[in-house]
Amino acid sequence: MSVGATVGILFTPTVWTALDDVSIWTQNWPWIPTLKYGEVKGVPTVSKMCESGCAVKVRTVAGEAFGTEGNVDNPISGGGICPLCANGVQVMNSPTRIKAPMLKGAEISWDEAKQLVTEKLAAAGNKVAVISGDQTGTINEVFSALLTSQGSDAFYVMPCEMQAADKAWSGLMGGSGQVGYDLENADVVLLAGADALESWGPTVANMKAFAANESGKFLFAGPVQTRTAAVTSKWVPVPTEGMAAFTLGLCYYVMQAGRSVPAADFEQFKAMVMSGYTPAKVEAATGVSADTMADIARTLLSASNPVVIPSGSVAADAAAFALNLLLGGAMKVLPEFAKAIDGAMSRSEMLKKDILQGVSADLLLVYEANPAYALPEQVKAGFTVAFDCVETETTAAADLVLPTPHSFERFDDLASPYGLAAATYALGAPVSKPTVSVMNAGDFVLGLAALGFETFEDVLDAKVAAIGADKRALVGGAVHVLAETPDLSGVTLASSVLGKAAVPVKGSGAVALAPYTLLNVGTANQATTPNAPCTISNNQLVGDFLVVMMASVTAKKLGVDVGSKVKLSGGSGECSALVQIYEGVLPGVVAAPLGLGHTVGDEFSKGKGDNVYKILTVSSEAATGTSTWAGSTVNIAKI
Amino acid sequence: MEIKEFKIKWGMVIDIDKCTGCGACMVGCQVENNIAPMTKKDPYNYVQALTTDRDDAANKLRTLTWMNVYEMSNRKAFPEHEVAYLPRPCMQCGHPACVPVCPVVATDKNEEGGIVSQIYPRCIGCRYCMAACPYHARYFNWWDPLWPEGMDKGLSPNASVRPRGVVEKCSFCHSRYLGAKDKARAEGNDPMDLPDGAYITACAEICPTKAITFGDLNNPEHRVHELAKGKNAFRLLEKLGLDPQVYYTSEREWVRLQGDNYNGDGGHGTPSNHG
Repeated sequence: MSVGATVGILFTPTVWTALDDVSIWTQNWPWIPTLKYGEVKGVPTVSKMCESGCAVKVRTVAGEAFGTEGNVDNPISGGGICPLCANGVQVMNSPTRIKAPMLKGAEISWDEAKQLVTEKLAAAGNKVAVISGDQTGTINEVFSALLTSQGSDAFYVMPCEMQAADKAWSGLMGGSGQVGYDLENADVVLLAGADALESWGPTVANMKAFAANESGKFLFAGPVQTRTAAVTSKWVPVPTEGMAAFTLGLCYYVMQAGRSVPAADFEQFKAMVMSGYTPAKVEAATGVSADTMADIARTLLSASNPVVIPSGSVAADAAAFALNLLLGGAMKVLPEFAKAIDGAMSRSEMLKKDILQGVSADLLLVYEANPAYALPEQVKAGFTVAFDCVETETTAAADLVLPTPHSFERFDDLASPYGLAAATYALGAPVSKPTVSVMNAGDFVLGLAALGFETFEDVLDAKVAAIGADKRALVGGAVHVLAETPDLSGVTLASSVLGKAAVPVKGSGAVALAPYTLLNVGTANQATTPNAPCTISNNQLVGDFLVVMMASVTAKKLGVDVGSKVKLSGGSGECSALVQIYEGVLPGVVAAPLGLGHTVGDEFSKGKGDNVYKILTVSSEAATGTSTWAGSTVNIAKI
Repeated sequence: MEIKEFKIKWGMVIDIDKCTGCGACMVGCQVENNIAPMTKKDPYNYVQALTTDRDDAANKLRTLTWMNVYEMSNRKAFPEHEVAYLPRPCMQCGHPACVPVCPVVATDKNEEGGIVSQIYPRCIGCRYCMAACPYHARYFNWWDPLWPEGMDKGLSPNASVRPRGVVEKCSFCHSRYLGAKDKARAEGNDPMDLPDGAYITACAEICPTKAITFGDLNNPEHRVHELAKGKNAFRLLEKLGLDPQVYYTSEREWVRLQGDNYNGDGGHGTPSNHG
């Protein structure tokens, strides 16, 4: 090599600039996100990700949805949104959206899907069942009308508070209509197990009412000092299985003060409570002191518009309804909206079947519910069709998966979520165009049988007409309220059943299990959302581990401490978890969050924690003829 | 350093007795400000087999939570136990600890309204400001923001996306302030005299219990003006003298005591447990 070449290589900048370029380019941002600019709008619609549904406005920029904001004009939300619905647009754009109809993992066309389901329907005859994850939509009318046309009545809802309330109110007490609670105008609110400001009922409406009700006194009774208890003026520790007895203990004091109801069986009820649920007996059965009950009863008696809001078992609900009737306060009874489809079931009929006792059918249609996650053992079917918009355990296990549009991409409605003080109806119109091959489940079902309608939008038009509302106003975000009170004359206090059903029954495990739901962690049907995982606290999830909470006395008794790894066994399953000490748990109770431990779904929920539904015990509340998870117990072993 | 005074002083009054810790404010904040969900896998990393995974939300030291809800406990055993939740945005201090330590003037407090700025292109990621901030309100981008496929089309127009290596924090949804001023100008109103509610942060807007009230602390027509002077109002670590523009209020004495009890009993006095 010549001298010139040597000197040239030494002095050329090429080598050094190339090295410099490599170091810069390898560190470059691989992908530069660009923002879209344009007109920003808030389009009113309904979001159905939480159980009661939220009335929201979808925020769009140049027509593209990017977020949600509260709809201030809407009495359901009053401008607030729950953490699930706040992330609605991100779920709509999720990579786990189901992109086309899938038959056992292979993509098929909508025509093939329709033909297949039509054949299966014909073959199944009346052995067809429906599980709906929607508590408030007219879509249930479409599904129930299909069942009726097949000669089946197997309409199931996922276990919910509305069902327990209906079984107590119309099943045991002979009432009609739907029970509601006027939190906003009550002066004393006793939340008897209802985690009303976190997950129970129409959460956002409850929170709005709580904020507006400045002078009202809120009390929370339950085994765990929940988020609701963080803001109420008092937390009364009461075990879940003892809630009905505790409520009857309050009835004792209220009747002692001379309150009565013009019910046919009032005298029987009074005799039953006065002998079977004396303060001393209730104290012995539930551990709640007679003084505490007397104190609460005094508060309720001195109030002018008190209300008691129950949660959990049918017996607890019936006891609370009886107490509310005695107090004559802010418990309301709502009328039901007129039906759109003649062959459809009424809401009360839809709530009759008990999914915890098991579902067995030749053909099962699952609508936006996740029974494979929350009820892995109860559901058996020859052929399962799952309608959903994102992948879940249920769509993974189903034979045929039919993608539905997301809430923000379809017409949908929200009729009287359980717990609201008045019968309200809200309607949502599509905000975004779907980018995947979806079909509204209503449209699909209407194509299977002659139910009198061509499209689901026609059904909603008929619904709006039947209830006498104005569609244009509803699409603009308004709410239709039905003001009439059903006849209460035939209501009884279910004394014969309640006397037996309210006796606390507990499983045989060493520790009582108090499962709880936080909306940011997820519900039975909706897993946590993309932006929510960093809101989940160390009391629910540490790393990928489920966390269970207990008081220090319980931990000491079990020989565990903060961070101990334990195995919880109950029902017919097991969960592994880390222990957290939280003094807001009744001694002898372990509190565990529901909604974690998904095995299918996006990376935000899959493999995070463990599924507490596996360790719940289904027990039969013999006297009321219903099933309940209340009274579940577990054994805890250190691992 | 003198406390900088402005004619307009945006601030918050957060009622701890109304906060249930539901997390809606945190989700609303992330959506508004384009904070990416935390993902382990990077689809643009073509040598993933050779590199470690990114952090997901399980690593609370690396999440970006401009608004963060803490759990507070009165630390008494059952049944005397009480719990409370404390949402913590940036305090937008009158005398910010983060500003003087920044070597490149990437953060400053010099705009009418008193919001402490954060200029991402200037930030060199030295994180002195994070060390200085006693409220842990500042966050470092350990990873490039990544939205799972398809989710990036729904980005908010209200905040530019930050690359890894820079520090970020709550800006009181500053682009909403700009938007409110623009709207006032377009309508012929004084942008320096916005009515109560014309400018409101995403967290205050979304809160279902209306625990967060937002407004101009200097303007007697704004609700925060009176609320901040309430007998139960307090500020976090008030004794450090940073003059935060975020006020809290609680009828519970233990909550107020813990609010200003940093290292009061050997380091156990702060709100514990990320919540």
